[in-house]
Amino acid sequence: MAAVRALRPPFTVTIAVWKALFLREALSRLAQDRIAWALLIVEPLFHVSLLMWVFVSGFRQKAIAGADVGVFIMVGILGFFLVRNMMNRAMEAINASEALFAFRQVMPVDTVLVRAVLEGVLVLVLFLVMFTGGALLEYPVYPADLLGALRALGALWLAGLGLGLVLSVVGNLVEEFARLVRLLFTPLYFFSAVIFPLAILPPAIRDILLLNPIVHGLESLRVAFMPGYQVSPGIDLSYLLTFSVVLIFLGLALHIQYRSRLMTA
Amino acid sequence: MITFTDVHKRYWKRRGDPHWVLRGVSITFPSDRNVGVIGINGAGKSTLLRLISGTEMPTRGEIRVNSRVSWPIGLNRGLQRNLTGRQNARFICRIHGFEDELEDRIEFVRSFSDLDDAFDEPVRTYSSGMRGRLNFALSFAFEFDTYLVDEAMGAGDARFKAKTLKAMKMLASRASMIIVSHSDETIKSFCHAGVWLHEGRAYWFDSVRDALKEYKRSIRLGRAANR
Repeated sequence: MAAVRALRPPFTVTIAVWKALFLREALSRLAQDRIAWALLIVEPLFHVSLLMWVFVSGFRQKAIAGADVGVFIMVGILGFFLVRNMMNRAMEAINASEALFAFRQVMPVDTVLVRAVLEGVLVLVLFLVMFTGGALLEYPVYPADLLGALRALGALWLAGLGLGLVLSVVGNLVEEFARLVRLLFTPLYFFSAVIFPLAILPPAIRDILLLNPIVHGLESLRVAFMPGYQVSPGIDLSYLLTFSVVLIFLGLALHIQYRSRLMTA
Repeated sequence: MITFTDVHKRYWKRRGDPHWVLRGVSITFPSDRNVGVIGINGAGKSTLLRLISGTEMPTRGEIRVNSRVSWPIGLNRGLQRNLTGRQNARFICRIHGFEDELEDRIEFVRSFSDLDDAFDEPVRTYSSGMRGRLNFALSFAFEFDTYLVDEAMGAGDARFKAKTLKAMKMLASRASMIIVSHSDETIKSFCHAGVWLHEGRAYWFDSVRDALKEYKRSIRLGRAANR
């Protein structure tokens, strides 16, 4: 065997841990049971098809608020799933990785960060797959403002990261809270204007929904894809960005503060 | 070298006052000697190992570690039940920074653990003996300055035990060990010095025999007092 090596600098250790965790997470996310990878694409596909059927066959509408129904729904669903999946997976990250804290190299925050990146990559792949499908079916899926779309997606990803970082700590220290958050996922689906344009709501209700940062990301994403979309007044992507950055810092601070309790919890 | 400076460790109980496992431990583990840690059940032996391995933080005080220290060997933590032995080995190899010689190390783990085809089956299908063998093989696959060993001599059948013993002897010649065990045999055959944990404090003995003597005397005294 080789001679004992010099101690590695902390940053090298961190990078090695992230890489190892990423490969492990990707493997267990996609190959753990036989249908894991299929469910990943089937779930959003199911939502999109069902909603399109309701709009097109039920309401006889091919356009909604100046946008194509198909693209409108795909963008909303995938944008929302990005945040929801990241929150969901991040909350479970620490419990699922408990065995790994036997190694001093692995910190609780590593598992959350790696899952956030992995979910981001997966949803990006989903975007590409579904939009390629859409393009083949001749839907107008090409974003008019690609940079704007990426900016909105990035902001949503940061929101998912911030929420994930905070909830992974709080949900672990107070288990009841994690359950409560899971209960809130379904109402959040409606309060995030995933399946309707915000502009159709009466101003009083709209103002309440505008408090939800995710709405700002979804509406910005839609208008970046479809410039003809009648975006609701009061949409401001920097609101979402501020929200995300604050949560990320709060989450990192919580992870530092409660590190040892998270490792043994 | 591993230095403890006034280390306290507290665990919260479900109700009532917290339990102080360590109350002011100041001790130095030199890099050139094998140390056996002894004490009654609940004296804080495993806590001490976990503190050194960095999986737990001291409530108060400071621990300085300036060498490569292994994870606590023999504990069946650290294996992901849903991944195969090989996938687990890869992960552990990567976090320890052996990315470039991954396959060599994996091959070593596979052959040392005698797992054969089971190496590519999920760990949840393993018997406890198989899991123990994998654990041992993993810890021998990497070079550390100090190995932390927790009651680990029991894994596997007679053949594997002989193999482990040989590997441990080899390890002892090039690295130091900190061993927690209830077996006098193990402690005597591997350790030079001893640390006796008693009522939250640690006592250093240059000779492991003295440490064992003191430990046994305290047990006799405790029995006499209870009578």
